[in-house]
Amino acid sequence: MPVEMHRDWIPVALSADLPAATVVPAHTPSGILALWRSASGKLTALADRCPHRGMRLSYGFVRGEALSCIYHGWSYGRNGQCQRIPAHPDLAPPAAIKAANYAAEERNGVIWIAQEEPETPPPALEGFKPLRSITVGADAELIAGSRDVRMRLAGIDALLLIVGTGGSETVAHVMVDAAASEVECVAASRAAEGWRRDCERLGRKDLAS
Amino acid sequence: MILYDYILSPDAYKVRLMAALAGVKLNLRAVDVHPGREHESEPLRALNPAGSIPILLDGDLILTESAAMLVYLARLEAPTWLGDDNAANAARVQQWLAFSRRLTDHLGGARATEMLSEPGDLPALQRAGTLDLRELEAALTERRILGQTFLASDRPTVADIACFPYVALAPDGGVSLDPYPSIRLWTRAIRMLPGFIEMPGIHRLHELKPEPLSTETPETV
Amino acid sequence: MTMDRQPMIDQWYPVALASQLPAGGRATQLMGTPITVLPGEPIRVVTADGRDLRITVRYGHVWTSLGDPAKELFDIPEADQPGRRLVEVGVVRVRCSPLRAVENFLDIAHFPFVHTDILGAEPHTEVGKYDVEIREQEDEVWATKVQFYQPQAAKSATGGITTDYMYRVPAPTSTVLYKTCPARPGEWDVITLFVQPLTEELCDVWPWMALFDDETALTDLIHFQQMIFLQDRSILENQIPRLLPLDPGREIPTRADLTSVAYRRWLKRHQFTYGAQLVAQ
Repeated sequence: MPVEMHRDWIPVALSADLPAATVVPAHTPSGILALWRSASGKLTALADRCPHRGMRLSYGFVRGEALSCIYHGWSYGRNGQCQRIPAHPDLAPPAAIKAANYAAEERNGVIWIAQEEPETPPPALEGFKPLRSITVGADAELIAGSRDVRMRLAGIDALLLIVGTGGSETVAHVMVDAAASEVECVAASRAAEGWRRDCERLGRKDLAS
Repeated sequence: MILYDYILSPDAYKVRLMAALAGVKLNLRAVDVHPGREHESEPLRALNPAGSIPILLDGDLILTESAAMLVYLARLEAPTWLGDDNAANAARVQQWLAFSRRLTDHLGGARATEMLSEPGDLPALQRAGTLDLRELEAALTERRILGQTFLASDRPTVADIACFPYVALAPDGGVSLDPYPSIRLWTRAIRMLPGFIEMPGIHRLHELKPEPLSTETPETV
Repeated sequence: MTMDRQPMIDQWYPVALASQLPAGGRATQLMGTPITVLPGEPIRVVTADGRDLRITVRYGHVWTSLGDPAKELFDIPEADQPGRRLVEVGVVRVRCSPLRAVENFLDIAHFPFVHTDILGAEPHTEVGKYDVEIREQEDEVWATKVQFYQPQAAKSATGGITTDYMYRVPAPTSTVLYKTCPARPGEWDVITLFVQPLTEELCDVWPWMALFDDETALTDLIHFQQMIFLQDRSILENQIPRLLPLDPGREIPTRADLTSVAYRRWLKRHQFTYGAQLVAQ
């Protein structure tokens, strides 16, 4: 299932949630991507499906500058090209073995992806710092009409980047005032839990009506 | 020390994992839970009337609750894993040991229903398990904000080991771990501990080993 | 919409362990049809509308069919060989196509990554050439002369060895593996995977074994096989799509996958497509 996206940056994760040499499943409006960071820190987003046997690449592992599938260890470079097939160690993998790759960039602690590299960089969101990503069991339209939300969480200025990820699930990447202290960040994180409960109550009410 | 063990039991795995991390040698006695239902047999009921696995025997001591086994192993050989260096941390450890019971009931229940065809209300178990995961994610996120990695102390404790298996195996019961970045980092930190051992459903972190150089004979075609 | 009769309807499937039938019977399903396996002499399998299905009891399991199998259940001659221990491993439910479960069983290249330090280990990842054929007379898929390095080939193995394998697919959701027998060189251990298709995307998997091993406790043998299969389960539940693609453009095989290629070709030839995806989506 090809992931289709328009030429817009979509926030998918926070930089702090993707340390070097790890991979995560990144939920987008049109499907899941395998988002990974190489040992040297470089970011890549690939289709979350190994072309060999369809295994999700986000279950794989990162060694050096390549992502490997957990099933048979086939490894992929940052361009999505298969680099190595352990069952045939001396075979140069044919060019046809390739996982689709997407533009991925991070700015101010937020990782953004796009189908094709947009002409402008992702927004800087100056004055904010990333707090946490939180998944809400409610439709994005219901929460905010799929738009970013400015609000206060425990009295702290917050910006929620809202991404509907299909079905009735929404991911909110929560940013807070860059000047917030640790204690304030903890309070804001707890308030985000309450905000999620409110959203889900709203969703249930909407279903009932 | 004898552990009545089952390879697919996350509660038994907790004890094997703690023993491996603490350097305790266990004498494992495999119990035919599935398909034989040996845990419900009279000889095992005599040790544990509840009919659950694991059971730990050490001399006269018989333990049937995995949290108690973790504490026993830690107290014997690895006391820093008790995490009781101050009152708040000691209480935190108890808090998470109690919480781990909920994980067993909910995520463990979903897993037994979905994977081993045990009777159970799967959607209700999955919903309850999801609430547990959210609670854990929120707590771990707060710990990260404060610069901490583990649940109760500035180092791993029995609390982490008690909660880890059912969380890591949540997908076995049809509960996705995708929505929980802090849980993901915490499970990774546990899997990277020296002496860590796996159980089926928790794969090796292959990235901890370097890419092997090709040492094999060239292909002929 | 009317559909052609799916030829897999007329095949045999495992639906219970004969030794483990609860007194009230085992309520389960076969290819979407609810059935109940009832204990007694003889064991019966009935549908919700009261139809008695054909049954046979072999290899520890109760086998049945929603249709009318033209042949008896396939033979495993080793099952009757004196001295073998017959091991009932039990059942594990997997959210995947029954055909995917079989195909994974035919695969050795995943051993170093999924069964690490047990059935395989890096750097011994290379899959050498082996022979694959569809045996016309038996109408079975066979792979022979398969070799792979194993750090711990079986419960009774203590060190690494190069293990020989033969794979056989005698029915669309049943497969038999013959492998080096550490206890008795010259003989083959028999390890099977019998798959009960509940739906096209859900199956109950019943591993079963006939081994020469007088040393290992029965429970340890059961647990070894349960461990191996449970390591596969998280793979099987995360392959996309859940159905097995028979469209050659959808997945990319290499020489190591020739058994899978032959299996897919054989499925296609017989229109054994319950659990298969015919056209890429």
